[in-house]
Amino acid sequence: MPNAILDPTGRAGAATAAQPGLELAPRRRDLAGARVGLMDNTKHNAALLLAEIGALLAAEHGAAVTVEATKANFAAPAPADLVARYRAACDVVITGVGDCGSCSASAVADGIVFEQSGLPAAVICSDAFVVTADAMAELRGAAGYRYIRTAHPVAVLTPEQVRERAKVLLPEVVALLTSGQ
Amino acid sequence: MSHADGDLDPDAAQAAIEYCYDQGWSDGLPLVPATRPLVEKFLAAAGRSPDEVIGRLPQLDRTVTVELAAINAVMAGCLPEYFPVVVAAWEALMRERATTGGGWQSTSGPAPLVVLNGPVRAELGVNAAGGVFGPGFRPNATIPRAIGLIVRNAYGIHPHELEQATQGLPGRWSICLAENEEESPWPPLATEAGLPAGASAVAATLLRTCEFVDNRHTASAEQLLADFADTIGRSGAWIFRHAGAGIVFCPEHAQLLAEAGFDRTAVRSWLAERSGRSTAELAGTGKDACDDNGVRLPGQQRLGNGQFQRMLPSADRQHLLIAVAGARNAGISMVVRLFGGWSGTAVPVIRP
Repeated sequence: MPNAILDPTGRAGAATAAQPGLELAPRRRDLAGARVGLMDNTKHNAALLLAEIGALLAAEHGAAVTVEATKANFAAPAPADLVARYRAACDVVITGVGDCGSCSASAVADGIVFEQSGLPAAVICSDAFVVTADAMAELRGAAGYRYIRTAHPVAVLTPEQVRERAKVLLPEVVALLTSGQ
Repeated sequence: MSHADGDLDPDAAQAAIEYCYDQGWSDGLPLVPATRPLVEKFLAAAGRSPDEVIGRLPQLDRTVTVELAAINAVMAGCLPEYFPVVVAAWEALMRERATTGGGWQSTSGPAPLVVLNGPVRAELGVNAAGGVFGPGFRPNATIPRAIGLIVRNAYGIHPHELEQATQGLPGRWSICLAENEEESPWPPLATEAGLPAGASAVAATLLRTCEFVDNRHTASAEQLLADFADTIGRSGAWIFRHAGAGIVFCPEHAQLLAEAGFDRTAVRSWLAERSGRSTAELAGTGKDACDDNGVRLPGQQRLGNGQFQRMLPSADRQHLLIAVAGARNAGISMVVRLFGGWSGTAVPVIRP
């Protein structure tokens, strides 16, 4: 009997199917009076894009931005204390921009953690990184997780173009964060 | 009867290789199928507990144990006696922020640089001389390949999926060299990094690319160093406020510098001061200013155009790794581009 060929992944026999799936946080009907958290992942233009979306939510939907913070390490998921800060002071969170190999995956991981902690989240990701963002969702047992895809590249946009982009994304952000009724 | 006469079964070998391809384990080249008896030899060579965790990537919920590393080292084509070097190289890489964060998933597609010092070089037959960045030597080729297979298989980071390299770089998973201590005028890299003289050790970091500096006709140390400063200061490689680099000097260049009184520290001081570009030159490529995160971008004002901006953060060895390797036959050296920062340390090769 020949020797067996060993598996180099450490995942031999690991279940790949039958994941429970992600249960999204409950949605409000609209964002009137909603406390909005913005989490900037330091990618270029992310802070401005989020701030513009926050301003539009305040002006057009009666929401108020209560937390504007930065995730210092874009490559890694947000630390627990940062998540707790949003949990304590926000009703919804918007984060991004997923604009690189690791940060797009970790932005999706952040969105999933926010949902699991009861906060509806809108993750904004460049459409060049859809495959890696989806792979992370699958890894976290949330295959099919919905996030906002925006045209690549974001980093080269002028401030005026970023403001335009915020206007384009606004309806999608609202739809993702509310029950849409 | 010799093997050529048919006492080995090439058809079974081919079938086993194809099986490994079918599992998605390969980096594109054939793999050596790993079996329990061979993996046991690797584990014995390193004398480490198979269950010991030597790498962890929390965002992907994946870990690397010594045993998983051994299986991948077998598949890469290593011999058992290479495995302590693979483990030391892995541990050296784990000392960098990028390797325990998002580095392996990066659009940069960085490549490990693995540098060996000490008696282990001769014991394993690691090339330190001609063609040191090229093919032809089993340990040089298979030790870094093992690192790549660990990332692919144990971390599950595959190209086009969790690995998002825009282009990657030539030499990814194949840059491993021994320092040419015999023809270097300076103490070994591992000694500079704080280990005892004569220690078998590995230094490692992640690279963005390698660029040659060919300068064979000057006898002036300053002219030679100026050629390196020009390549190091190139704007294309410069994306943050500062950037680190490295030089793998050929023996001829290192000896010329040493004869002019330059040791590693003096080389670094000279280059740290002179590697860079003027603000006006950087403005020409849209990299003259930095945002709050230290990312280079076009500036809003054109003041101080004549100001010289230094590329290296300091003259510390972490920001300018210097090694000596290659043949003593021409003035051709390699500038290497650090992905992050070298830890400035070396890891001893431990054998039971």
